[in-house]
Amino acid sequence: MKTLFRNSLPAITVSVLLLAATSVTVRAQSARLQIDQLDSLANKASETVDVKLDEHLMQMTAKFFVSKDPDDAEIRELIKGVKGIYVKSFTFEKEGEYSPAEIDSVMSQLRGGAWSKIIGVTSKKDGDNVEVYLNTAGDQINGLAVLSIEPKEFTVVNIVGPINLEKLVQLEGQFGVPYLNLPPPKPKIEKKNP
Amino acid sequence: MKPKLVIIPIACVLLFGSSVSIGSARGDDFNAVVSAIEQFYHVKHQNIPLLARAGMKAAKTAARIRGGEYKRLAEAGSARVAFFEEQNFDSHGQIASFKASMKNALSETWSPLVQTLAPKNEEQNYIFVRELGKNFSVLVITIERHEATVVEATVAPQILAQLMKDPNEIGKALTEDATIDP
Repeated sequence: MKTLFRNSLPAITVSVLLLAATSVTVRAQSARLQIDQLDSLANKASETVDVKLDEHLMQMTAKFFVSKDPDDAEIRELIKGVKGIYVKSFTFEKEGEYSPAEIDSVMSQLRGGAWSKIIGVTSKKDGDNVEVYLNTAGDQINGLAVLSIEPKEFTVVNIVGPINLEKLVQLEGQFGVPYLNLPPPKPKIEKKNP
Repeated sequence: MKPKLVIIPIACVLLFGSSVSIGSARGDDFNAVVSAIEQFYHVKHQNIPLLARAGMKAAKTAARIRGGEYKRLAEAGSARVAFFEEQNFDSHGQIASFKASMKNALSETWSPLVQTLAPKNEEQNYIFVRELGKNFSVLVITIERHEATVVEATVAPQILAQLMKDPNEIGKALTEDATIDP
């Protein structure tokens, strides 16, 4: 019996490791939103931007920011562990050219589960609405989603991987992430010793 | 000895076969996209590269991306270009159909990286990427109301990494790179 257990131990270890790796992948995958259904909006939009930087491309890119250049080091740190950046942005000539159902097709994926809203900015004057959601499991961040809903523009940004708000702000204007006019992250207040 | 005698010819056949299929697939996809444009818009491409047109202005974008003095982005001799000049690119509101026909023309090995559409101005940009050994093959399709360009170029991974910092600029930079004199 002992021999059988000893012989099976490597196989059991490999199985447990594979299972653990699979669960990590599944968790990371759950931070990937289904946004291809929005493609039909391209028929009505005056401008459409669609960016897909998948895990393979992101890993390949990260590997080549190796120089001592401080810019490269900053980018390397920014995209470390990022498994994908997906952006869809639609600009319309007139208001009301996209429906609440189209927004809800994305929003419904963000309700409950591992997603929680961390920022919601609404401008009554302009009708602009920006919401930022984080996908977490315990202390680990698995992904982030930004919905920018304006009367003539609808943008969805989905970043899969360990990304926080500070990194998102730094990524604006790079890797296809548009400028989102997010409020600056609150500075961390250090507790003073009494 | 016998197994070796059998294995060597098989290996040669496989090696030769795969290199031929990769080569033909490359050619097919570039030509297939050019044909898709010709069929959809009823236009005809020109193979003569209009190298004189670009000049210094074009070189600046590529130089900015490379962060200094202008250097080629594409591997030497790898760029293929098809121009469509002074022709009418009117999709009659069917840009989505064109997008679909182009997607059908390409093999599944290509990953879409960036797509931008502005139907009112008949402007479309598509960038597809696929691995090519140690390098990457990048296919850039740019269509405007009266002209279009299709560029396929082999790019080193380091260059692609730099280009990916601003994916919207990849198409412009590679097209300019492929159409200017060194």
